[in-house]
Amino acid sequence: MERLRYILQDALVNIRRSGWSGLASIATIAFSFVIVGIFLIITRNLGAMVSEWKEQFQVTVFLEDGITPEQLTLLRKRIQSERAVKSMTYTSKEEALQSFKRELRGQESLLEGLGENPIPASLQLRIYEAYQTPEALRQFTASLTRLEGVEDVQYGQEWVDRLSAAVRMLRLLGLTVGLALGLASLLIVSNTIRLAVYARAEEIEIMRLVGATRLHIRAPFLLEGMIQGGLGAAAALVLLFGAYRATLWQLQLTPGQIFGMGVGSFLDPRWAAGMLLAGAGVGAFGSMISVGRLLRA
Amino acid sequence: MIQFFHVYKSYGRDVEALVDINLHIQKGEFVFIAGPSGAGKTTLLRLIFRDELPTSGQILVNGRNVVKLPERGIAPLRRSMGVIFQDFKLLRDRSIFDNLALVYRVHGIPAAVGKRKAANLLKLVGLSHKLQMTPYRLSGGEQQRVAIARALMNDPVLLLADEPTGDLDADLSADVMRLLADIHARGTTVVVATHDLDMVRELRRRTIILKGGRVVEEHP
Repeated sequence: MERLRYILQDALVNIRRSGWSGLASIATIAFSFVIVGIFLIITRNLGAMVSEWKEQFQVTVFLEDGITPEQLTLLRKRIQSERAVKSMTYTSKEEALQSFKRELRGQESLLEGLGENPIPASLQLRIYEAYQTPEALRQFTASLTRLEGVEDVQYGQEWVDRLSAAVRMLRLLGLTVGLALGLASLLIVSNTIRLAVYARAEEIEIMRLVGATRLHIRAPFLLEGMIQGGLGAAAALVLLFGAYRATLWQLQLTPGQIFGMGVGSFLDPRWAAGMLLAGAGVGAFGSMISVGRLLRA
Repeated sequence: MIQFFHVYKSYGRDVEALVDINLHIQKGEFVFIAGPSGAGKTTLLRLIFRDELPTSGQILVNGRNVVKLPERGIAPLRRSMGVIFQDFKLLRDRSIFDNLALVYRVHGIPAAVGKRKAANLLKLVGLSHKLQMTPYRLSGGEQQRVAIARALMNDPVLLLADEPTGDLDADLSADVMRLLADIHARGTTVVVATHDLDMVRELRRRTIILKGGRVVEEHP
């Protein structure tokens, strides 16, 4: 217990003595984690947006004008029995026209002179996410097109696919940049600790000679690295949160209003905790490299 | 307490620091390892506290073969003994008290106990009035006494002293030797390496004389 207390005290003394180089180390880790955090926030929100859109994704089946009520009933039953279909809504020609007019509010005159209602009746199908793959959708819509009473089938999957691909790309980019910056942080922490170890070389030598274990010598430096790393990650989280709130304020939005889709959230608490742990881990690993190398020497 | 069996130590091909050393130091003895500079005295002491490994031969300290000691066994071995270094090895930017505190921190001794112990030892070596001074402000003899106090912080069963009077004048040397004799009188085994043959003759203790890495004389 006493040893643990001494080790902790030594780590705190080390941090105090590290001065500017310690601060530089914390700042570098903070900078790296801010960049990684930005990527995490963007991908998290884009991911949420894609999920939201996938949830709202629908296939529209336009019906022939001459479809009879019996044909419509049969068609609805047939489509409803498809495993890909989560739910189905029918929009009559009249409802479609009314809806279109609402969208053209103030410009209704554009529709004058059309005579007969040109807008077809339709069925809006919500599709289970498992069936939202390009191949499954292609097969499904092709089978719908062949059904009697179906004029056309439309869906905007391509757009969702592109967005999903963009999110995947962004994640990959974030991971690459994160790894590169993580490595840079590792080197800087390792260098800072190396300086601290050099500065205390005489003390370490004496400690060794009076019977200090390797763990006793290493532990304060490991703790120092962990604390520096953790502080860097914590500073990054504070900066990110500040920037996030400022952005919302600037856009006059409340959290969750961005894109009007229930997204625009900050980092998940588990991710934030993960960043703190990663910071501490980077710091500990960096110091382990330095101290290990110097003690072997 | 200490046994050397056919111990050789060489550095590279050319430098033979110790050649076929065989010796036995009993528990509670006061022994001088004497000889001129370069005779191998410091190397012999360093082998005892496993700062060096012999090129060949076996060394037993307190029944443990230090040559075969695993890495994790070195710290406990050193914690069982006190070492006074020729160059004192004091931290010059720390107070005398902090220099002694380093030992109780390494040994995990509670601070209250460690502080009491440090204060008592500084009193024993006559430096209790200077405990907040840094070694810079002390004379060579005073620094030597701090080094002795530090070596006693862990109540060692064995005290190794490398040239403890090396840089001191005759009076201070006598003080330091008196102190070591007091420590020995309390039951501690003391091994002193020195080049001062006059002092050795005067004190009439068991003496092992080294020359060129070999034991050339031993008395009584």
